[in-house]
Amino acid sequence: MSLFFLYPAFLVGLLAASLPIVIHLLNRRRLQRIQFPAVRFILLSQKRISRSYRLRHWLLLALRTLAVVFLVLLLANPIFQTGAGLFAGGGPVSLVVLLDNSLSMTWSGDGNGFKQAKEAARLLISALNDGDRAALLPTNIAGKEVIRLKSQKDVLSRELDAVEIADGTANLTATLEKAYELLNEPAGQKEIRLITDMGLTGWDRFSIAALKRVDPSIPVKLIRVGRKEQPLNASIEEIRLGSQGVGVNIPLQIEATLGNFGAQEVKDVLVQLSIDGQNKEQKLATVPPKGQVTVSFQTRVSQAGAHTGQVSLKKDGLAGNPVADFTLDAQDKLRVLVVDGDPQTALVQSESFFLSRALNPSGERDSSLFLPAVIVPDALNAAALDSYQVVILCNVAALPDGFVANLQNFVRQGGGLLIFSGDKIQPDSYNQKLAQVAPAELREKKTGPEASGEKIDKLDAAHPALQIFSDPILLESLKSSRVWGYTRASARGRPLISLANGDPLLLEQKVGAGKAILIATTADRDWTDLPLKTAYLPLLQSLTHYLAGGKRGQLDPGIAVDTAKEIALPPGLVGKSLRVAKPNKLDVEVPIAGEKDRAVATITDNDRAGIYRLSLPAGAAKESGAPQMYAVNRPFLESRLEEISEAELQAKLAPVRAEVIPIEALKEGGKRTDLAFPLLALLIVTLLAEGWLGQRF
Amino acid sequence: MADTQKNYFDPKVLAGIANLSLRARWVVEGLMSGVHKSRAKGFSVEFEEHREYSPGDEIRRIDWKALGKFDRYYIKEYEDETNLRAYLLLDASASMNYASDGITKFDYACTLTASLAYLILKQQDAAGVVTFSNRIESFVPPRAKRDYLTQILHALENRGPGGETNVGKILEDIAGQIKRRGLIVLVSDLLDEPAEILKGLRHFRFKGNDVIVFHLLDPAELSLPFDGNILFEDLEALNLRVITDPRAIRTTYQQVVNEFIADMRKQCHDNAIDYQMISTSTPLDQALASYLSWRG
Repeated sequence: MSLFFLYPAFLVGLLAASLPIVIHLLNRRRLQRIQFPAVRFILLSQKRISRSYRLRHWLLLALRTLAVVFLVLLLANPIFQTGAGLFAGGGPVSLVVLLDNSLSMTWSGDGNGFKQAKEAARLLISALNDGDRAALLPTNIAGKEVIRLKSQKDVLSRELDAVEIADGTANLTATLEKAYELLNEPAGQKEIRLITDMGLTGWDRFSIAALKRVDPSIPVKLIRVGRKEQPLNASIEEIRLGSQGVGVNIPLQIEATLGNFGAQEVKDVLVQLSIDGQNKEQKLATVPPKGQVTVSFQTRVSQAGAHTGQVSLKKDGLAGNPVADFTLDAQDKLRVLVVDGDPQTALVQSESFFLSRALNPSGERDSSLFLPAVIVPDALNAAALDSYQVVILCNVAALPDGFVANLQNFVRQGGGLLIFSGDKIQPDSYNQKLAQVAPAELREKKTGPEASGEKIDKLDAAHPALQIFSDPILLESLKSSRVWGYTRASARGRPLISLANGDPLLLEQKVGAGKAILIATTADRDWTDLPLKTAYLPLLQSLTHYLAGGKRGQLDPGIAVDTAKEIALPPGLVGKSLRVAKPNKLDVEVPIAGEKDRAVATITDNDRAGIYRLSLPAGAAKESGAPQMYAVNRPFLESRLEEISEAELQAKLAPVRAEVIPIEALKEGGKRTDLAFPLLALLIVTLLAEGWLGQRF
Repeated sequence: MADTQKNYFDPKVLAGIANLSLRARWVVEGLMSGVHKSRAKGFSVEFEEHREYSPGDEIRRIDWKALGKFDRYYIKEYEDETNLRAYLLLDASASMNYASDGITKFDYACTLTASLAYLILKQQDAAGVVTFSNRIESFVPPRAKRDYLTQILHALENRGPGGETNVGKILEDIAGQIKRRGLIVLVSDLLDEPAEILKGLRHFRFKGNDVIVFHLLDPAELSLPFDGNILFEDLEALNLRVITDPRAIRTTYQQVVNEFIADMRKQCHDNAIDYQMISTSTPLDQALASYLSWRG
């Protein structure tokens, strides 16, 4: 129930209501003096009429003041509104109906909120009269449709039928800006109605200052879709990988963090993990009020490549986002050829003992991403290098001539080579035969007592294989190790780790499509205590991964709806386009742009939750490293069902005036009454009364 | 001719004539033309008193013996025998000095008094004038001499209105001074306590006098025709003042004034007093006609 004025500027005229009082006061000050003989009769008359006279006098003043007030109000043309009906009279209406179709509307109005919102919008459209125009503007504008004010109710109704709940947060800034843009043309009356659940998340992102166009004379009237009860409110906040990498048949730990935005405990909610549409595991979880809980799943994937996954919540009456999609990129086991140049009967004394344990700690076939095969140098000629991704030479004295060519070819074609030094190694032979692939020219061996070992000092932490040392524990472990024996090397490639005396310990060189790394000390503890340190295992696994092409099975939790996804592609694809299949079966072509030395496709059309599948342009190698799919999830903050208060809302929208109307008011058949005629009648009555009373004086 | 005569009685016309004697003559002559002369004529001349010579007196009436005795001119005055002695009592208080349009109440009263005196003297009756405010301002005893009008007019002209009225007490005083019965003509606005006024008038009646009251009121006093917010200040009581909007009280005021007039008329009637309310806008012949109707 409220009162509006069609022409509020006229209300300034209310100041004129003081005129009768001012005139009265001026008259009192402007006295005429008359000398008169019969003053006693005047006094007598005054005594007789004193009370009624004063009453009439004030009544007359009140009537005159009222007449001015009524006249001003009449000019301002007040409209009395009950409910939320449209204007009656006052010229054609230009109306923009903003319909909140953000995800949170799913749970508004006790589950019926969006339906109610559409009914309210339909009511507003049906109330349009001839000459009125309206536009329907969902807050989550899916397409970039051209929206215009139109007068055809049937078209507007069809547009309304087509609006669905989106998966994202309401973009109120863009929507209101568009509304003001639409209303930037002459009209008798301009109206903006926002039918919304007043979800806090959407308003958190809103800023009136970000609007390019605002018209404070057009108020925003919000029709609030409320909820009677506070529902159970749990949602999935985060999906992450609990284990290292994702490999075929390797135990995989997936952790889901559940959040509860409500004030009630969510008991025994069923949490289900699916991989590739197959139900893998179910668990019951209890989420404390306003708290979180993490649920872990153990599973495996049996095939290499891209997989889709989903964690879902199931419980009756549960509000909040119940589904989170993710993608998995499972890697086959990395086959590693380890050449032990100093094999011993006692395995622990063998050159490769620590190395092979680092790559497969449990020694079981299906427990590690790495599948190391240890051979002695005599078997090198018979080794089929194509079966391996990485070759590791551990203190191998000299390489057979026939093997060297194979090895060089292997590296050029993308294989990885890791060379450990040692007492048996023959620098001249290496320098002569591996000059094209070895990262350094080997020189003299430098050994000393263990106590006089050099510390590791410098580290290129930005290198992809060494980024694990951003963990301070690992870094400290690495730097605590001593190196008392190493082969001095004059670098051809790039030194990645150096000793305290400045001599390089680890060098890298790219060869063709592959890479080679030299570690100037031993793989066992003959020249260094590094194999006994915590850092050894992650360092060796990381280096091996890197040499194998940097690919490592991963879990991608995806992005939120309406955020952009950037896909890095090989530089050769610049100028081509990437085809994206959306969850709603619509395909989108995304151009591939060049950015420095790489190609990038930026996908912005992520308005639907689900799995987006990518089709690379013809000719792009599958080994390009580009993902085949990614997940887009509903923003979990949309599950927060808190509403913005009216005061906060008015502060957010200032200087635009905001008014909140409950949706029930609209459904109750809101009515607007033009008060011009009653005011005119009142004015006439007041003037007649004034005239009649004035004559009585 | 008829128009000219009519103009004689118009107070506004009369106000333009400065000479009171001329006014009185015009009024009376205009009124009396066509009216038969009174048969009541004085006879036998009786010495009454000496008085000091004043300009205009006939030289032949100077008492030469008295001149020889006192070395001053005295006039021997004789009293005409007449059947009427009229005392014209003129209210000369400040409230009489009011005119809303044209002639003041005092001027009107003077003209009326002079006209009456002229008429009375012309009919060879005795006429005297008393002017008063809250005291007797002048007292000209009644004489039936035809040239006595000069003295009456002199008394009237030498006196302007001023001071407060106290009609009741003054009437008592005058009643005490009048030894012989006669006609008492009171010309006043009667702006005093009605009871006091009537008490004074009754004194005359007790002594067997006939009493005529000419109650003079300005038209503005009758209708209160003013507009706007006005501070009314009383002409006599200077501390009596009131702010009012006359439109608001006009009807009630007129009721109050009419009630006052009606009350006075009734009281006078009850005491066998002739009462005539005269607005200063009323032509003078109507006032004189009421006297003539009394005189028969």
